[in-house]
Amino acid sequence: MSQDDDKWGVAHVHASFNNTIMTVTDLTGAETIAKSSGGTAVKQNRDEASPYAAMQMAEGVAEEVKAAGITGLHVRVRGPGGNLQKSPGPGAQATIRALARSGIEIGRIEDVTPIPHDGSRAPKGKGGF
Amino acid sequence: MRVAVTGTPGTGKTTATAALVDRFDANVEADTSTSAVTVDGKETVDELTADDICHLNDLIESESLYTDVDEDRDSVIADMDALESVVDDRAPVVVDSHLAHHLPADRVVVLRCEPNELARRLRERGEAAEKAHENAESEALDVILAEAVESHGLESVYEIDTTERTPDDVADRIVDVLTGEREPSAGTVDFVGYLQ
Ligand SMILES: Nc1ncnc2c1ncn2[C@@H]1O[C@H](COP(=O)(O)OP(=O)(O)O)[C@@H](O)[C@H]1O
Ligand SMILES: [Mg+2]
Repeated sequence: MSQDDDKWGVAHVHASFNNTIMTVTDLTGAETIAKSSGGTAVKQNRDEASPYAAMQMAEGVAEEVKAAGITGLHVRVRGPGGNLQKSPGPGAQATIRALARSGIEIGRIEDVTPIPHDGSRAPKGKGGF
Repeated sequence: MRVAVTGTPGTGKTTATAALVDRFDANVEADTSTSAVTVDGKETVDELTADDICHLNDLIESESLYTDVDEDRDSVIADMDALESVVDDRAPVVVDSHLAHHLPADRVVVLRCEPNELARRLRERGEAAEKAHENAESEALDVILAEAVESHGLESVYEIDTTERTPDDVADRIVDVLTGEREPSAGTVDFVGYLQ
């Protein structure tokens, strides 16, 4: 990494079926810089509301992150984020776009979605059948 | 008709589906109006025997239906094509597995469980801490629910929260799906609080 490490952090985005939350830490993951309360869309139209709620959530976090002197974020996405075949899902995509629009530089984007397993697991990228 | 019973390991699929034949008899005999109807143009189930239930974990192991091994997870990587043809041959009504939603099905039941409780159940079953943790995190993120909806559509998915239900109670809710007495549902729980 060529950037000044002090100005970079990691956005941990958790995008579930109908909620998106985010925690921003320093590069080691030890110190929490900002934390969202969640972009829930349970009671609204999921297709419309999930990315929108995620975007609003990310805008709030972005302000806190900038106030802490962070200029760039690497993004670690966990979760399917709203049942579409895209990786990262729409909730996560909306989050990343909102961060970028707020003037934060986006570094590496990594998908670290956990894999359900029980002596067996599905092949990676096994979406349909 | 085929009903997939899927859900993160630890949600109680094998326990509930093992109780299914007894619960089916108890429910359907108690309520004669239940038997043999068609709902939304789809056939429903009016009889169920032990042969109608297929537990994929056993099948994958006994028939070596895998292509590779994931050493980190102490798990084989299932051969989904081979699995599909073996399941087609046996033609079970109920398919119990966290992989069941990756096969064709008429209805897909997704069992859910609050992640701390899920991890507790897995530890109690004797699983390693890492396995309990990754599965709990998968459950918190709705990984299997999202896959089920993506593959089968909202109209075919039936979510059941098992957190505060006994296995017999869960089996009764699955009977409702088999007999066509339940509407589809998805996204009825929100477990992301576990991640904060
Ligand atoms: N409804 C339930 N309530 C509490 N514990 C349960 C319930 N269903 C199953 N269990 C316990 O949780 C563990 C996991 O259940 P199991 O049926 O093996 O889950 P799965 O097949 O979904 O991995 C077992 O130890 C089982 O005894
Ligand atoms: Mg099982």
